[in-house]
Amino acid sequence: MALALVGLSHRTAPVEVRERLAFPGDEARLALDTLREAGVEEVVLLATCNRTEFYLNLDSDAALAQVEVVLAESAGPLPRPLQRYLYRCTGDEVAPHLFRVTAGLDSMVLGEAEVQGQVRAAYQRSAETEPPMTDAVLNRLFQTALSVGGRVRSETSLGEGTVSVASVAVELARKIFGDLGGLQILVVGAGDTSERVVTALGREGVEGVIVASRTYDRALDLAGRLSGRAVRWEEVTRALAECDIVLTSTSAPHPLITRGTIAEAYPGGLSKALLMVDIAIPRDVEPEVGALPNVFLYNVDDLQKVSDETLDQRRTAAVAAEALVLGESQAFASWQRSLAVVPAIRGMRERGERIRAREVERILQRLPHLGAEDQAALEAFSRRLLNQLLHDPTVRLREAAKEGRAEEMVDPVRLLSGHDSQ
Amino acid sequence: MTHILALALYLAAFLLWLRALLAGGRSRGSLPAWTAAAGVAVHVAALTRFTRTYGELPLVGLGPSLSMLALLTGIGLAAALALREGERVGIVLLPLAFVLQGTALVAGVRPSGVAPDFSGGWFILHAGLGLAGIVGVSLAGAAGWLYLVQFRELKEKRMGRLFHFLPPLATLDRLGNAGSHMGFVLLTLSLALGWAWTVRFRGTFGQDTAQMWWGLFSWLVMLSAIVTRGLGEGPAERRSAVANSLAFLLIATGYVLLRLSARPGAGFL
Repeated sequence: MALALVGLSHRTAPVEVRERLAFPGDEARLALDTLREAGVEEVVLLATCNRTEFYLNLDSDAALAQVEVVLAESAGPLPRPLQRYLYRCTGDEVAPHLFRVTAGLDSMVLGEAEVQGQVRAAYQRSAETEPPMTDAVLNRLFQTALSVGGRVRSETSLGEGTVSVASVAVELARKIFGDLGGLQILVVGAGDTSERVVTALGREGVEGVIVASRTYDRALDLAGRLSGRAVRWEEVTRALAECDIVLTSTSAPHPLITRGTIAEAYPGGLSKALLMVDIAIPRDVEPEVGALPNVFLYNVDDLQKVSDETLDQRRTAAVAAEALVLGESQAFASWQRSLAVVPAIRGMRERGERIRAREVERILQRLPHLGAEDQAALEAFSRRLLNQLLHDPTVRLREAAKEGRAEEMVDPVRLLSGHDSQ
Repeated sequence: MTHILALALYLAAFLLWLRALLAGGRSRGSLPAWTAAAGVAVHVAALTRFTRTYGELPLVGLGPSLSMLALLTGIGLAAALALREGERVGIVLLPLAFVLQGTALVAGVRPSGVAPDFSGGWFILHAGLGLAGIVGVSLAGAAGWLYLVQFRELKEKRMGRLFHFLPPLATLDRLGNAGSHMGFVLLTLSLALGWAWTVRFRGTFGQDTAQMWWGLFSWLVMLSAIVTRGLGEGPAERRSAVANSLAFLLIATGYVLLRLSARPGAGFL
């Protein structure tokens, strides 16, 4: 048996290919069922928006070929042959790869945490199916991977900071307002990024969403999706006075919000904090607005700067994370090598147990006067003796296996224990 | 020994916050807060022992009263735990507690040996409320100073270690506001009780002592800080932060100047 992996990721395949092999919803389970029917019993399918990978513990390469058949059937016609997008790993390469994936070291956004939950879900899908599609090796592989992911997050700063426009906006809002519950947000312009930012703020408790767009229907559409209300373009200034956060993303060629707009919205002066996030190019908010005492204005370059700083910090943290992954990979490989001597140890112990039982029975026949208590004592003595005799050889065999000398040790052990002749 | 342990724990808590700040400021660990809490607990034990041993509260004499002020500063920090990241004012309050406790130990935490009328219930209330009021002033000052730093980080878009470490502006404003109001109310009560005590035990309304003038000065400064929030244009929160920072600075400077000019052995703090 050997570990193997076949799959594709954002490093080898464009999104047009990845989305056709995403196995959404129940398709992942159906793919596993198909593989089981084809005789592939131990397999875990990890499918995220950035990767699709099958982890197997296989007897022969036939199982790998079967996985590629499933992938080809699921993908349908592709611009290039499927093989060009796939990568394969076997043996000692598999564990480090999965550990890096789980730790977020192989993610499109370095250090992202979501992948750990996806690995857990993938593992549970195979482990909890009946009968389970994971054996001892796959169980240990995925449990260690999840542990490595947790350690990387708790022992390094790889996952810290924010890297998306939405998360930077949320962090800024938190640092100004603290608790975001009950705040109002005005969205000027109806783009995808605006929607993501508002959704992220909504998760933090921002409740009131007001959407303004030059096209009222688009404002209505976005407001509907965000459970907010739409206002007509002429009402933007009035809406400005009601909100705590302003998010602009129009394609207007000149600034829409100027110092004059703010003065009009707040005739008595701006007495509360106002966070303005301008992600439009060209900018929607006049830069001078940022000089107003209670206005915190950020444009797309400011947000990108935060994101870049975070990524720089994560790249530094990745060095420590890689070292952790390496250590755990070596420990896993050592454990896996130790499995090679398990049959030999089992054979040695089984033979010893047979001899012990036979000899105890013989001596008990010779000593029929022994009572039940003495017989039990003799039985216990023989077990202790056997365990003590086999303890050192067992430990040395395991140690030799961990050091990669399993093969040179197994044959002599089998010979000495007479296992080959059984 | 317990006094020194409390001092060490305050220092350790401060160093832990400092480490979190230097590490990028994003750490959400609670170890510094727990260390500070342990410092407060040990400090309570130390001052309880002082009271039992000498039969007087640690409110009179430089050493005992500064030690009590350090303890109340630690308790003020504990009160900030209720607000989001509020405990991070510890980066200012813990060094203050450390300096106060350190000075107390250098001066000697020993009984004052002053007149018995300094140990009555009126006096205990007067001194206790006064010290608690000063803690309110310290809390407001620390929060105000951190507010100004965070405000500058946000305005200048320097989202580095300080930005990540410091609490949100709203939290700092609430802490500052609570601290200044608490300080003002407690100082008012302390002054009123002080005068009542003077009238009762000394038979006079006026008393020309350093502590009285410092108390009156502190009260006026705090009143000004509170009034400043509601006056003028622009962000009230920032105005309040400036006023609270200045108030703390003025009151602390006033104390040091009066202390330096006080006659040796004076009962004043």
